[in-house]
Amino acid sequence: MRKTYAEVPGVSIGSRSPSSWNILWRELVRDRLAFVSLLFLGIVILLVYGISFVLDQEQIVSIDLFALKKPPSAEHWLGTDYGGRDVFGQLIIGTRNSLSIGIIVTVLTGLIGVLIGLISGYFGGTVDNIFMRFVDFFMILPTLMIVIAFVTAVPKYNVVSFSLIMTAFLWMGIARLIRSKALQERELDYVQASKTLGSSHLKIMISQVLPNLSSIIIVTMTLNLAANIGLESGLSFLGFGFPESTPSLGTLVSYARDPQTLESRWWIWLPASVLILVLMLCINNVGQALKRATDARQRKG
Amino acid sequence: MSFLEVKDLKVHFPSRGGILSKKIPPVRAVDGINLSIEEGQTYGLVGESGSGKTTTGRAIIGLNAITSGSVLFEGYDLAKGGRRSHLDVRRDIQMIFQDPYSSLNPKKRVLDIIAEPLRNFERLSPMEEKLRVQQLLEQVGMSPEMIYKYPHEFSGGQRQRIGIARAVALKPKLVIADEPVSALDVSVQAQVLNFMKDIQQEMKLTYLLISHDLGIIRHMCNHIGIMYKGRYVEQGTTADIFGNPQHIYTKRLITAIPNIDPLQRDKQHIYREAVREEYERAHDSYFDNEGFALPLKPITKTHLAALPERG
Repeated sequence: MRKTYAEVPGVSIGSRSPSSWNILWRELVRDRLAFVSLLFLGIVILLVYGISFVLDQEQIVSIDLFALKKPPSAEHWLGTDYGGRDVFGQLIIGTRNSLSIGIIVTVLTGLIGVLIGLISGYFGGTVDNIFMRFVDFFMILPTLMIVIAFVTAVPKYNVVSFSLIMTAFLWMGIARLIRSKALQERELDYVQASKTLGSSHLKIMISQVLPNLSSIIIVTMTLNLAANIGLESGLSFLGFGFPESTPSLGTLVSYARDPQTLESRWWIWLPASVLILVLMLCINNVGQALKRATDARQRKG
Repeated sequence: MSFLEVKDLKVHFPSRGGILSKKIPPVRAVDGINLSIEEGQTYGLVGESGSGKTTTGRAIIGLNAITSGSVLFEGYDLAKGGRRSHLDVRRDIQMIFQDPYSSLNPKKRVLDIIAEPLRNFERLSPMEEKLRVQQLLEQVGMSPEMIYKYPHEFSGGQRQRIGIARAVALKPKLVIADEPVSALDVSVQAQVLNFMKDIQQEMKLTYLLISHDLGIIRHMCNHIGIMYKGRYVEQGTTADIFGNPQHIYTKRLITAIPNIDPLQRDKQHIYREAVREEYERAHDSYFDNEGFALPLKPITKTHLAALPERG
């Protein structure tokens, strides 16, 4: 047996190449703005979910006739609305609801989209054709109108059922994206090699192709999170989201439809508006940094 | 009974064209070829791009669907049934891929890459698996400490060695090498080829070597088949093909091998011109109306060529 090894020049044996998680993380840390955004997001999420454990939603949304339209005070940090409901409490609960919807919708659409995209891209041909016609069908549905119709038709819905109805119409984009990437990957020799080595289709899809799509999945899901929170707030603002008894960021902003509130009671709508703006910006910053990390030419770190 | 016997193998790709996607004749990538390989030998498949040599190899291993014909591996017909129906036979046939860059999953460590076939066919504990992978790495001349590295940390030649280690991990009997060195530079080519020869003796492998480089084929093979547009134009032992080429296409291929002796340059040039002229003059009689090669005719016991009818 020969003992002369073909050595890698310049690479010592101990050093490990950075994993893809490492690259993503390094890009986030290197990009100050994205890192601060990530910290801020973490803090907001912790605070919102933490405080909402202590707060009682029933008590916050119940009308208090002795405290109508109060400006900020020690008792009500952000004043009260026209029903005497504490705005700070609504803000916390509302942010929690909006974030929950955003996260649930993003995760569910991600799961469905990755599953369908991966199957149709990996197998291609007839399977791809069938799945994509199915996707096309969902694409042409007037999503917004159906959601509005659902909201008007169903008398009582909660965060979970609202998330489900949004999920049903929002998974197609990611499915298409994953499909197009999977179509590229399946042509590469490593997939062919896996077949000759006796791996099953399922095994190849999950353990060979999926890891190569991981970065694009993370990036899209992050950017989708911002879009989904925005969509929920938008619907609530228009009055097709949650009723005032279930506060969300959108319901708080929608108080501003009343000109008097808009003009003289800023404490009701301004904090929620600013929070939406900042949350979206932060998620976007993080998403853009992750996106850059997946392309070696754009990386900063 | 031959070790591997391919009989009248056809691989056609259906195609549709035009706005109404009406049926047009299928692409006949491989159109009725016969070959047989004896155990422990190296069979070379030569041809230009698009001649169907890669498709032949991929059809034997099951990556391309076989349209008709049979592939008998130790008497077992691989053309019948799907890829998974004869997994036990499949593990005896492995493949070395052309492109060492795309044939290794960039997200997997060397350990996972080489252990993939072992995980599919053998129940090994993580410790045993690691040991086996380290042995295999040593066998292909690489340091066993490299198991935790990723493919991009290696050079092309090293990657191809990893690919070879993966292909021989299950101790296969037949290895299909699809242009194993054409993506490597010349100095590394020789290294990898000689190493493939070493490992052939060590593990008693049979190779089906697919290449467009006649030099490599001459160096490696016992038997040679020359393909053109999905058919054989000539088949025989290395001595038959290089010593007594019969078909004009073969002759042209052989004259195209560069001669390293500068003093022979003029002679070589004149010879090459003569062969070119013969090729152009005799082209119509050596190929049918559609430009395909004619049926093979025996010349000697081992030597077959697609020659026109005399007289």
